[in-house]
Amino acid sequence: MMPAFLILLLAVFSIFLIAVFVFRPQITATRGGKMTAFVALFALPLLCFGMGASSKLEHAKSTEFCLSCHIMEPYGKSLRVDDPQHLAAAHFQNHRVPANEACYTCHTNYAMFGAIKAKLSGLRHVYVYYFGKPPAPENIKLYEPYNNRECLHCHAGARSFEEGVVHTADPELLPALKANKTSCISSGCHGVVHDVASLKNAKFWKGSN
Amino acid sequence: MPSTSPLEWKLQLSGIILILGLVVESLCLLGHGPIAFLLFVGLGGALFAVGILLYLYSLVGAKVESSKQ
Repeated sequence: MMPAFLILLLAVFSIFLIAVFVFRPQITATRGGKMTAFVALFALPLLCFGMGASSKLEHAKSTEFCLSCHIMEPYGKSLRVDDPQHLAAAHFQNHRVPANEACYTCHTNYAMFGAIKAKLSGLRHVYVYYFGKPPAPENIKLYEPYNNRECLHCHAGARSFEEGVVHTADPELLPALKANKTSCISSGCHGVVHDVASLKNAKFWKGSN
Repeated sequence: MPSTSPLEWKLQLSGIILILGLVVESLCLLGHGPIAFLLFVGLGGALFAVGILLYLYSLVGAKVESSKQ
């Protein structure tokens, strides 16, 4: 990712170059002036926008970005619950997911156009947050049931998953999990994910960021 | 100081809109929340699109005028 300050430098340079054409448009009468105008009024703005958009989209994946909405604060807190039974907390604290992209890693869609779908869902969140009636944090529901595909993106093929005692106890379980017929989360096995309703009584991990 | 030539006036206008777009982009890059992201994509993107299209239109217009002469 391009550091934001480099993009800012390029933007400031572009502003100065464009300002030359705003104050002295007659420069474009020469061949050199026309070429510089093309760079200043077409190529540089496109480059600035592309690099800026790339930087912003990358930042939109960060845990900090997701938790910047007040309504998401309890979900951020739930990542620090000191209980290995809490699925999201165990993944975050043990770096099973990148800590700085924790929300995005589990809540993106690992199918085609998943990243785009995740961004569109994000826009819907912002719309509901500012223009709709956002529910209380404990009443927030996923738009559609959590798909095992997102878990299997990392766990499929892992020894702990493929040969786990519980997973292999019933020979029909693994195929059902892989076909998303039995949910990893809502079938009662890994049911505690965020549990923001009971955070008041929870003990929190005070580890590193 | 707006130019009297239509071509130069379009270039100036396109430049002003692009400068506004770049200022919006720069300010949004300093912000970290969803509003900065939306302003960047919505307002910044629209200003960039209008500025660039106006510049391209001025080029096409200039070519048409010179071919008429």
